[in-house]
Formats: sequence, C-alpha cells, structure tokens
Amino acid sequence: MLGKLTLDAIPLSQPIPLIAAAVVGLVLLGVIAWTVIAGHFPYLWREWITSVDHKRIGVMYCILALVMLIRGFSDAILMRSHMLFAYKAPGYLPPEHYDQIFSAHGVVMIFFGAMPFMIGLMNFAVPLQLGVRDVAFPTLNSVSFWLTASGALLVNVSLVVGEFARTGWWPAPPLSEATYSPGVGVDYYIWAIQISGIGTLLSGVNLVTTILKVRAPGMSYLRMPMFCWTALASNLLIVAAFPILTATLAMLALDRYLGFHFFTDSQGGNSMMFMNLFWAWGHPEVYILALPAYGVFSEVISTFSGKPLFAYRSMVMATMAIFILSFMVWLHHFFTMGPGGDVNGVFAITSMIIAVPTGVKIFDWLFTMYGGRIRFHTSMLWSLGFMLTFVVGGATGVLLAIPPADFVLHNSMFLVAHFHNVMVSAVLFGAFAGYAYWFPKAFGFRLDEWWGKVAFWFGISGFVVVFGAFYILGLLGMTRRMQHYDVADWRPWILIAGFGVVLMLVGVVAQVVQLVVSIRRRESLRDETGDPWDGRALEWATASPPPVFNFAAMPQVHGEEAYWTIKAAAREQLSLRNEPDYAPIEMPINNPTGVVCAFFATLIGFAMIWHIWWLAVLGFLGAFATFVVFAWRDKAEYEIPASEVQRINRANRTTRLEALQGVGRRRAA
Amino acid sequence: MSATASPGLAPGHDPYHLGGSRDGRGDSAATGRGAGGPAPKRIVVAYGFWIFILSDIVMFAAFFAAYGVLVGGTADGPKPQELFDLTHVALETGLLLLSSFTCGVATLALTARRMALFQAMMAVTFVLGAGFLALELKEFADLIARGAEPSRSAFLSSFFTLVGCHGLHVGIGLLWLLTMMAQVLTKGFRDDILRRTACFALFWHALDIVWVGVFSVVYLLGVIA
Amino acid sequence: MSAADQAAERSKRHRADVAPGEAYPEEDIAKGIRGYLIGLGLAVLLTACSFAVVRMNFIWAPAIPVAVIVFAIAQMGVHLVFFLHITTGPDNTNNVLALAFGVLFVVLLIGGSVWIMANMNHNMMHSPAPAPSHAHH
Repeated sequence: MLGKLTLDAIPLSQPIPLIAAAVVGLVLLGVIAWTVIAGHFPYLWREWITSVDHKRIGVMYCILALVMLIRGFSDAILMRSHMLFAYKAPGYLPPEHYDQIFSAHGVVMIFFGAMPFMIGLMNFAVPLQLGVRDVAFPTLNSVSFWLTASGALLVNVSLVVGEFARTGWWPAPPLSEATYSPGVGVDYYIWAIQISGIGTLLSGVNLVTTILKVRAPGMSYLRMPMFCWTALASNLLIVAAFPILTATLAMLALDRYLGFHFFTDSQGGNSMMFMNLFWAWGHPEVYILALPAYGVFSEVISTFSGKPLFAYRSMVMATMAIFILSFMVWLHHFFTMGPGGDVNGVFAITSMIIAVPTGVKIFDWLFTMYGGRIRFHTSMLWSLGFMLTFVVGGATGVLLAIPPADFVLHNSMFLVAHFHNVMVSAVLFGAFAGYAYWFPKAFGFRLDEWWGKVAFWFGISGFVVVFGAFYILGLLGMTRRMQHYDVADWRPWILIAGFGVVLMLVGVVAQVVQLVVSIRRRESLRDETGDPWDGRALEWATASPPPVFNFAAMPQVHGEEAYWTIKAAAREQLSLRNEPDYAPIEMPINNPTGVVCAFFATLIGFAMIWHIWWLAVLGFLGAFATFVVFAWRDKAEYEIPASEVQRINRANRTTRLEALQGVGRRRAA
Repeated sequence: MSATASPGLAPGHDPYHLGGSRDGRGDSAATGRGAGGPAPKRIVVAYGFWIFILSDIVMFAAFFAAYGVLVGGTADGPKPQELFDLTHVALETGLLLLSSFTCGVATLALTARRMALFQAMMAVTFVLGAGFLALELKEFADLIARGAEPSRSAFLSSFFTLVGCHGLHVGIGLLWLLTMMAQVLTKGFRDDILRRTACFALFWHALDIVWVGVFSVVYLLGVIA
Repeated sequence: MSAADQAAERSKRHRADVAPGEAYPEEDIAKGIRGYLIGLGLAVLLTACSFAVVRMNFIWAPAIPVAVIVFAIAQMGVHLVFFLHITTGPDNTNNVLALAFGVLFVVLLIGGSVWIMANMNHNMMHSPAPAPSHAHH
C-alpha cells in the first residue's frame, strides 16, 4: 500500500537533522497557522499563490532562493564546524550523515539557491526593461515557479522522511546505482531535480519567447538593456541544456528502478557516459547562472557610474560567444577519466578560449567606470567585489583548464576553492547586487544602506578567508569530501577556514537584519518617484512598486537607453511627456493552475521515491485533469478600466513632476 | 504616445555608437523580431512551442548519444542485426508519414473552419498514430519474449529507451489529439483553441522528424552493422 | 508575377513575422493539401530509397551508411519545409535561427559524446595492459 515507506523511514538515530527539521517545520507551521488565524490566507492565495504577475512570481522565486540559501549555508556551517573537530578524531557527524550534508549543500545551493534567485531577477526585471506588461505565458510562469518549489520541498522532506543522496551533488554512478545506494537518497535527488528541472525548462522557454517576440515598439534587439541580452543567452542555454539533464537522470532512474544498464559498468553499461552527459548539461549550467549575473553587474555599474555601458556591442558579442562556447568545453570536468591527449587538448583549448569573452566583459565594466561619477551603493560594492575576486577565480580556472595541471589538482580543495570562487563571486554577489538594486522597484522602499554595507564587508572578507584557505589546502594535497584528517600541515588552514565561516555568518545575519530594519523604517526609505538610482532602463520609468500592468501606455522606444532618452528630454524641458491617451488594459486572470499542478507533481515525486505506484498514477491523472480544466476555461483576461489606469498613472506623474521641479529650482539657484 | 516631444534629443542619444539603427533606421519594422512591438499572440504561442520542441529534440539527442555510445555494449547478448525486422519498421514508418499528412489536412480544415473535415482528419490521424503505437508495442513484446529485454544489455537498455521515448511522445500526442478534438467540438473555433491545435500539429510533425532519425540510425544502420 | 509585384511581396515579407508551422501566404485548402501531398510524396520516396539501399545490394557496401544518413537529412529537410513550413524567408528569421542553434547543439552533443567516449574506451580498454612493475618496490 505504501511501497517502501514505513515508520523506520524517520531517521530517529540521527538527532541533528531531525531536530533541525522539526524546528523548521514548527516555524513553517507557525507561520501558516498565523496567516490563517490572522485572516491573511485569502489575500495570500488571491494575490500571491495564484498570481500570474511576473513581478510577484519573480519576488516569490527570490524569497524561495533566500530561504534555501540559508538552508545551504547551514549545511556549510555544519561541514566547516565538523572539520574543526575532525583532526585525528571522528568529528561529530557520522560519515553517512556528513556525506548527505555535502551532497545536499551542493544541490540546494545550485538548484534551489542560485537558480531561483537568477530566474527570479530575470522574471522580475526583463518584462519591465522590455517595456511590456508581462512575460509571454503568464500561467506557465506560475507553473514553473511552483514546480521549482515542489522540488525544493522534496529535498527538504528528505531530512525527515528517509535520507538524502550520499553521492555528492552529482549522483555519480556506479555509486548511485541501486547496488551501492539501495536507499531512497538518490531517488529523492532524481525526482526533486526532474520536477524542478521541468519548471526551469518551461521558465527558459517563457523568457526566450518573451525577449524574442514581446518587446515594446521601437525596442529592437540592439536597444535592449544588457541584462535582457544576458537573460536571453542564459535562457537559451536553459532550453538547450536542461533536456540533457532530464534525459541523463531518466537513464539513471531506469537503471535504478527497472534494472537497465546505462551506467552500471556491467552488461556493457558505462559509468563514464554519465559523467559525459551530466557535464554536457553541467558546464552550460555554470553560464546559465553566471550570465544573468553579468547582466546585473552591467546595469548596476552603468547606473552607479552615471555613464552608458562601455562598448555595448562587444558586450553583446561576448555574451553570445559565451553562449556558444559554453557548449564546447564540458570535457574539462573529466580530463582525468581517460580520454587521450588529442581530446583533452581540444577541450583544454576551448576552455581557455572561453576566458576571452569574459575578459572582454571585465574590461568593458572597467571602462564604464572610467571617468564616471561613481556612487558606492551596496549593489555597486558587490559589483566591485565581484570584479576583484572573480578575476582570481577566472585565473585559477584557466590554470585548471591545462590538463597536466588538472591531473595534479583535480578533486582537491583547490578545485573546491576554484568553483566556489567563481560561483559565489559571480552568481551570489550578482544576486545580492540585483537584490539591492531592484528591491525598491519591487516594494517601493530602499534597503537600509548601513546594514547592507556591513553584510557586504563581512560577506566578502569571510569569503576570501575561507576560499583562500581552501586554495592553500588544495596545494597542500587535501582532497575534497574528507570526513576527517590527520595531517598536521592542514590544521591551521582548516582553523582559518572555520574563522572565515564565522565572518560569513555575520554577513548573512546582517543581510537578514537589513531586511527587517528596512521594513520597519520603510517610510523614511520610501521611493516616491520610481527612479531612486537615476536609472537608465525602462523599469525606472514606472512607479515603485509598478502597477500590475507595468506601464499605463506601452512606451515607444526611440533610442538606446530607452528611459535615459525620455528623462534627458524631461530634464531639458522641465516637463514630463504629455499624458498618454488612457485606454482599458487587458490583463491575465490569476489562477491556481501552477500551485495545483505542483501539488500533483509533489505527489508523483514522493510516490515514485517510495514506490507507491497507485499514488503516482493518481498524481499523473490529477496533473492531466488540471491542464484540461485550465484549457476549458472561457475567460482568460480581465479588463482594467481606463479611469483606473489614469488614476494610477497620474499619482506617479505627480511625484515625478515634483522631483523635476526640484531639479528646476536647484538649476535656477 | 507623445514621446516625440523631445526634438533634437532622442535621435541624438546614441551612446552605443550603433549609427544605422538610430531611430529605427536599419531595423526591421516587423512585430516580434523587429522594432514593431510585441508579436501577435498567434506567433508568440507557436514560437514558444517551437522553442519547446527544439529543447525536446535536444533531449532525444541525449538518448541518441547514449545509443550511439552503448550500441556496442551487447554483453554477448543479441546484436542489432539479429533483432530488427525491417518490414515491420517500414510499416510503422508508413503509418506515421500518413498520419503527418492527415494531421496537416486537419490544420487546413481548421483554418477553413470546416468542422466535419477537421474531426474526420483528426480521427484518421488518431487511428494511424494508435496503429503505429500498437506495432511498436508488439515489437517490444516480441523482443522481450525472445529474451532481448532492456535489462539484458546496455545496447538493449538504450534501444528500448530511445525508441520507447519516441513512443511515449506519440502516446502523449494521442491523448492531446483527443483532447483537442473534444475541445474544438465543445468550444468551436476559438482563437486560443486554434493556437493550441497549431501547437499540436507542430508537435506531431516534429515527432515524424525524430522518427526519421530513429529508423535511419537505429534500424537501418543497425541491420547493416 | 511582375518584378514590381515580387519586390512588393519581398518587402511585405521583410516587415512580416510568421509563426513556425504557419503556411505563408494564407492559402485555400486545395492549395494547402497540394503542398502536404508533395511533402508526403517526397518523404515516401526518400524513405523508400533509404530502405532500398539497405535491403538490396546495388551500391558499394561501405557507402550504404553514408547514403542512409544523407537520405535521412534530406527527409528531415522535406519535413521541415513541407510539414513545418520553415522557410528561408525574412519573415522566418527567428524560426530558422532557433532551429540552427538546435541543430548545432544536437550535433555537438551527439558528435562530442561519441567522439569522447570512443576515444576514452580506446584509451582505457583496448590498450595492452602494462605489465605490473615491481622495480620500485
């Protein structure tokens, strides 16, 4: 009846995750109970859970990412603190638990921290920057988000029911095959990633279509803000790479569930084929995450330097070159697995070539700042921190791209330091920069600068200390994923890394405090005009937070830097553009298709993990029924009357006009 | 919009030095791919689905890659030459090609708003597709009965997965086909339903392209090898 | 059609945008069926050629795989043009570009995987195992 699921699935022998999960569960239940009792649930359901508004879905993606980043960081704290006690001693985490923690850390950070953060920022900002009302497929967008959330839920359920994979963040066969991992850990991995992967793929399709087909009049490709270009490249990569992951994990699932022999190393199977296919997805994935971050940096650096982006065309070319090249380098993840010198050589060269467009970008950002009047806003600090630290990560990457060097350094702490160096400084710093940059646009008030700077300085110094120590540990010969060690030379560096984690913890706490403080002081941090940073792209042309329809009338784009053009004219003439002719606006109706779909997806995933076949069938039927119900609806859009559009737009025009008159008074004085 | 109330400034702002495309010159005025504003919904939907189909084809490429790598991994079990019956495959191919044709006629009937022709052609497409699926299942059953089951060797694992994945797509397509027939029947020629049917037709034709790859690479090359 | 008409048609198509799968221009049903029939005919012909070169030994044996692949690619092209209505016209730019990227990634993935794995198998399995060395013990 319940397949493999019995009461023994609850890991009573492992108190740490159980207590942690119980606390998280209680907090979650408490929050849910509070919203229901306080009567907020109908509002949440109507305005957020069933929302098809790209801005709200973007915000929910970012909230999911922030929560999961904290979960992943807790895993990191566990690992680093365990290592403090693991010198000639077993530490406090048993090996089978330690293995789950480092596996979960990678999975959570990549799939449920970094990915939703980047997708959330793109969802939020891209339609605004393109000057349109929503993404191409609003309901599909909601489905994407809730499928991602469903995957995140499954990963966290594994804390309490059953176990998580002990295979590392990629489930490498033959270890991940049923013979060596008979438990449900790998199955949790497979189904969580398959479900959230489908969500990511759909979101990629959605944003590619939006950028290529849904832009404001006059917004030709070469007038798009750089963030839209990097979002385009990133989502094209999602569309091209995620199906490979889906196929690969499907093969692994067939091996585990039906005794197939793709990766078993017996009956003709080949475990190295898994590596090959996994990294054919895995390397593009690096750029799926990094490219949108490059876009954020481009926006932030241009805005806070008060200058147009330097060499826009070369930036576009570099972005698209990375997009193509990122599909030609995947073998450098397994130089040491046995390909010949010719194959290794080809992929070494392509890996080094891909550093060139990235270098072009660094120079473009530098020259954007050159001669500019730079304002050191938190998001600018994250961007500068990125440029300094990322160059180191890039250089060690080029080093690792040399096969002979890789033979020495692969699977060492040097490698761990390298990929954290690039992923944290590009993706995470980019996420934080984007968070500080677009927060006022999303909520109508700025984030507190003082706490933001505390978070930055502690975050970046902790990051440098931890991964600096890791580089040295790697050179001293320490390999990754060790549960304990007895080499005296490593001891001081492991202690230093432990200290670095404390610094990072202060940074994380400051980030949380910043949010709380900003919410409490929101009145004094209010963004009245909708353009708090003197921005250059169209998202700053509308109110903060933007009305549900984004723009009262679709903007007509007449040049590069669409909003700067409008603003410069307004400043020169000290008057706003004439009011548009207000017309009623049709917007998609909120609907629960996404969340209901994800509910059934979670059922399917849970049922497949525990071999509860009838429940899986039920889940598939439910999902199909959900789509049919959605397809049969008669009314997809509702109308916002012209008078309402006028009222909302006039309110924003009033504050903008006041700001403009302020400019006029200062000029007169 | 009266944003043109900024003489002198707007055309002059060209920080990216794109010259020719200043003020739209040199750009296509087309909607969607040019500077003409958002594309009509018909194009947006079909284009989005086109992107999805391409991603689906990349997924098939991964299964093809697995087959290409593992085809030699027969583990002393049956080899491709001993298993495949080309007459059977030719029959399957014929059914699928014909179904693509009838599906095309169905979309023409839909554009022409001819209900009876549309339903008839969709029904024929369904019968042809179901026939294909039945033949494929029969082939699988025969293979398994002869001891050539997917857990026998890596070659058979990758064969069953690649061909089965195509079959699964045909199965999902059949379910979608029936849903669209019911929807057109109950809701008539509504715009969103026309868009959905256009997507279905794209899906069905794309499955044919994948099948061309399957019968050429798996069956024909398998028999020679 | 006169030259002026053709130029007008071209410029109209340059300004237009077409959905994948959409026949252009809007045609009557008989004309449409004719297009699908031509496609079906060509597809059946190419399929028949493929099966024929494998079944009947009338071409040089080593050329058979090449012939099969060529016919397959040709048939995919026929399907794209006559069934999916992907053309090279300016109104199809986005559709063709997306297809081109798709083809590139498919080629990279299949070609790369087969090349890498063949090289690896050759390197790891078929090289004579070096005799275990005891010299350093």
